[in-house]
Amino acid sequence: MSGLRALVRLTLNGHPVEVSCPDERVLLDLVREELHLTGTKRGCDLGTCGCCTVLLDGRPTLSCLTLARLADGRSLTTIEGLSPGTGLSPVQRAFVEHGATQCGFCTPGFIVAATALLGEHPHPTREEVVRGLSGNLCRCTGYAKIIEAVLAAAEGR
Amino acid sequence: MHLDPFELHRPSSLEEALRLATAHAGGFDYLAGGTDLLPNYKMHLNLRPHLIALDAVAELRGRGLERLGAMERLADLERDTELARAYPGFADALAEVATPLVRASGTLGGNLLVETRCFFFNQSHFWRESLGYCLKAEGDRCHVVPQKERCYATFSGDLAPVLMALDAEAELAGPGGRRRVPLGAIYDAAGDGIRRHRLGPGEIVVAVHLPAAARARASAYLKLRVRPSFDFPELGAAAAAELDGGRVRSLAVAVGGLETYPRRFDELTAPLVGEHLSDDRLRAFSEAVMRAVRPVHNTFLAPDYRRKMTRVYVRRAVEKVRERSGAAA
Repeated sequence: MSGLRALVRLTLNGHPVEVSCPDERVLLDLVREELHLTGTKRGCDLGTCGCCTVLLDGRPTLSCLTLARLADGRSLTTIEGLSPGTGLSPVQRAFVEHGATQCGFCTPGFIVAATALLGEHPHPTREEVVRGLSGNLCRCTGYAKIIEAVLAAAEGR
Repeated sequence: MHLDPFELHRPSSLEEALRLATAHAGGFDYLAGGTDLLPNYKMHLNLRPHLIALDAVAELRGRGLERLGAMERLADLERDTELARAYPGFADALAEVATPLVRASGTLGGNLLVETRCFFFNQSHFWRESLGYCLKAEGDRCHVVPQKERCYATFSGDLAPVLMALDAEAELAGPGGRRRVPLGAIYDAAGDGIRRHRLGPGEIVVAVHLPAAARARASAYLKLRVRPSFDFPELGAAAAAELDGGRVRSLAVAVGGLETYPRRFDELTAPLVGEHLSDDRLRAFSEAVMRAVRPVHNTFLAPDYRRKMTRVYVRRAVEKVRERSGAAA
């Protein structure tokens, strides 16, 4: 059995899109391979690393473990959709200013997850940031600066 | 890693889900949050041609102090402060499941029925093929206990032990009708890592019900794992008790992460009812639990260590309950 497809309609970074999608396709592949938005990264592909985090109806979601068809009718925000028309979002700016990227591969996932975290806890403690981002891995081990950047973004620094 | 093709069904009612289950009997999996099933599918572990997604079934949602819908997301249960106040041990366990990102999608029902795990099963197809596969997927022998025709894969959910200690019941719906059983009864103590639960064909866990007595109990859950994030339990110890000035009115202790099913120790807690929960009694009790459990070498930590830590974690879980009850040692 193969080739079962269905139309998926969703709002992608504020714009309506309609795309034909096989049943077994995960959201990550839809975003990267059909919609050509490659900011969302494929890390472990098993839900361990958080590199593929997107926002689905505002909730942080592992796109490698979400079937694309189940996103039908929902609002999808990728790292590309977090930037304002010009410039950077507060979290993005804080990452740049605090040197919170090394190789940069985990950065989109961290920024999306941190944006969701600050949406829920606008003024988190350091412990809340550490726990809240414990599903994102940085293989360069640059956690100290990432945590600093998120705390700085929360304080508007 | 791409998923092999399957047909995805998305029923909008329980009746429709059960009809689909009957139509595709033996050839489907239910899909809840997907955070356990889809990684296993990516590793080519026991694929089925049909997936029945339960996310659009409204009857599986809803949460209150008495009823928790099986499709409630773990993150939503975790942020429910009323639940955390009523069942502190349940809140302990929720916060320890995997990572916040997994909990954002993972569900209560999914965690209760999480696939059993083993070092020889949770591997890539290439890895398993090179070893000649195993009983639980495609093979005909167990690499953990080679002379046995039994699967030793470990029950790895965090929520079942504490919910069992709170006397929770499972509401089930199947093609044959509805029933309600003690939560512990959905697991098969006489089965193994493959025949791990006692649900009928197509039967769905609809909700978990908590009795009024659960709200009179203090509870706690402690988890042993290698990394403080993501990892499945190497051992999970749950305790729930109602103490009357240090005297035991009720006490239940359950563990997970050690055997093929989560296990409650009523025969060991029963003699403590009516007694003062002294440090000496607690030490003897924890020792007895340690002697009763039989972990095998199929997870990261050595079974002997997990057994010894069972004694420590059970004692600490009960001490925490005692502390939360405001009772003295």
